[in-house]
Amino acid sequence: MEVQKEAQRIMTLSVWKMYHSRMQRGGLRLHRSLQLSLVMRSARELYLSAKVEAHEPEVPLPTGRSPDPRLHPPREAEAAAQAAPPDGEPPSPEPMDTQETPRAEETPSRCSPRPAKASRKRRSSSLSDSGDAGLVPSKKARLEEEEAEETPSEVPDRLQPPPAQAEGAFPNLARVLQRRFSGLLNCNPAAPPTAPPACEAKPACRPADSMLNVLVRAVVAF
Amino acid sequence: MKCFSRYLPYIFRPPNTILSSSCHTEADIISTVEFNHTGELLATGDKGGRVVIFQREQESKNQIHRRGEYNVYSTFQSHEPEFDYLKSLEIEEKINKIRWLPQQNAAYFLLSTNDKTVKLWKVSERDKRPEGYNLKDEEGRLRDPSTITTLRVPVLRPMDLMVEATPRRVFANAHTYHINSISVNSDYETYMSADDLRINLWNFEITNQSFNIVDIKPANMEELTEVITAAEFHPHHCNTFVYSSSKGTIRLCDMRASALCDRHTKFFEEPEDPSNRSFFSEIISSISDVKFSHSGRYIMTRDYLTVKVWDLNMENRPIETYQVHDYLRSKLCSLYENDCIFDKFECVWNGSDSVIMTGSYNNFFRMFDRNTKRDVTLEASRENSKPRAILKPRKVCVGGKRRKDEISVDSLDFSKKILHTAWHPSENIIAVAATNNLYIFQDKVN
Repeated sequence: MEVQKEAQRIMTLSVWKMYHSRMQRGGLRLHRSLQLSLVMRSARELYLSAKVEAHEPEVPLPTGRSPDPRLHPPREAEAAAQAAPPDGEPPSPEPMDTQETPRAEETPSRCSPRPAKASRKRRSSSLSDSGDAGLVPSKKARLEEEEAEETPSEVPDRLQPPPAQAEGAFPNLARVLQRRFSGLLNCNPAAPPTAPPACEAKPACRPADSMLNVLVRAVVAF
Repeated sequence: MKCFSRYLPYIFRPPNTILSSSCHTEADIISTVEFNHTGELLATGDKGGRVVIFQREQESKNQIHRRGEYNVYSTFQSHEPEFDYLKSLEIEEKINKIRWLPQQNAAYFLLSTNDKTVKLWKVSERDKRPEGYNLKDEEGRLRDPSTITTLRVPVLRPMDLMVEATPRRVFANAHTYHINSISVNSDYETYMSADDLRINLWNFEITNQSFNIVDIKPANMEELTEVITAAEFHPHHCNTFVYSSSKGTIRLCDMRASALCDRHTKFFEEPEDPSNRSFFSEIISSISDVKFSHSGRYIMTRDYLTVKVWDLNMENRPIETYQVHDYLRSKLCSLYENDCIFDKFECVWNGSDSVIMTGSYNNFFRMFDRNTKRDVTLEASRENSKPRAILKPRKVCVGGKRRKDEISVDSLDFSKKILHTAWHPSENIIAVAATNNLYIFQDKVN
């Protein structure tokens, strides 16, 4: 559980950093964006593996399941990509890590070591069954409130994350991020101190795909 | 070196501290430091787009034991903020790199670059001015032709020394991504500029064209896995250059092999140590700087925690690895939160390639002696900058009982970072940029 929370916190932080980097002078930095997306991907894989590990005894493996959803991006990923300002490069509808081979061993630095037997296969059906509304789209409309929460006290004062910026030049991206990741942000007890403005009403239905794919796709769209 | 027998590889004393100010703006933050080929000049660039050049004063006969100190020689605005209307992006004026050209006449030439544009500057002295024009008076106003009754030849008379910097070339519109490196070729006719995905080769005389010699941009941007982080020409072989990547690899390319050097001649990569594998392994393995040794035999790379020396003849692992601040390995998550993990430290060789230097946090910088394998941590601070004061070695306490003069890891000030340093090409004089302050240290003179 701690592993999941830590991974979720890292993902939230990475999304926030990616959003914030768009408002910096000089525009989006390719290297920085790449590094952030790598961390997000690692956190996502860690989170999903930990989730699968936690729910493995309860949910049987579905037979003949569909291939990795990362290979089939949903349409709203392109909407998220188009929310980003054009920079002369064509937007990328596919996730960055499509071609990457999954890493066999990965141990986070300060998080607990991942279970060795965690399967790397995506099990979206099991996740939806487990009712993890933060990751898997639910068909229920939900109203959620954004609440700023304190970062863990273990982080020294010197190393506190910087305050969030006000909604800047990319309001569309901000709304997309809020709409899609509000669940993620709310589930996280260690969200950045100044969270983005209050989100809008939740969409009613979304295709069965991990929100994290959209997350990765949105930040790659530049 | 006479100081090698002591504990320190060098004993440095600061002659003075230049460009110090207690309160500073973002624009004053020094972003690059570079000695010229003789060490007579030292150039700094800052976030405000300014270049400040220091010149070493001539050693006077009266003060034999006092080495020449560096004084401000010239200051000019190299780059201004610009706006890319097509992409709705502001282009920062911050000077990313300065590189000197070898001196070929009385004037000095340097290249300075921001994220998008490289400029060639000529810095020249004027200590005489012509007087006695026929058609204009001393203030430059045109004279009434009817008052001119005689003809004379203007003569050059001495004047107060004036140093003027003029932009001789502007190399623009060649980079889609942000320029991270420039490097002058040993042929002194060409240079290269590198951004995240491409490297271009320029001729100094031609500004409207450049050759693209490396292009790692994938056809589909979603397949992007690494970017170029630094590039440099070989110091003697004008056909050879190296570039480093965000994945911790270095590629050596030979321009004689093909026009487009997408296929490397040599590929330097060290297998990852599984015991050091962590959540942020990919980030900290990104190489932030690559430098050829003066001999051209070795290359040095800097990633977040280490400095590595590679032999060009051995690609599978570095020959030397130095831990800069390994105590930060357990703090990577916190350093990710405060963005320090993205800091790009540079590294430098000394003139004889026997010592390497790089920066750290808390205004610390580290030196590693390759021969004796000794290392030292020094601090660039005002307290240490009294003239004739000797820099005391510093030590970071990683655990257990902290001694009186040690500093604990948790007490380190991560806002004080030394990213840019420079070493005089032939003498033991170092320039250390600490935020908005420039410290110049010389080794002890007996």
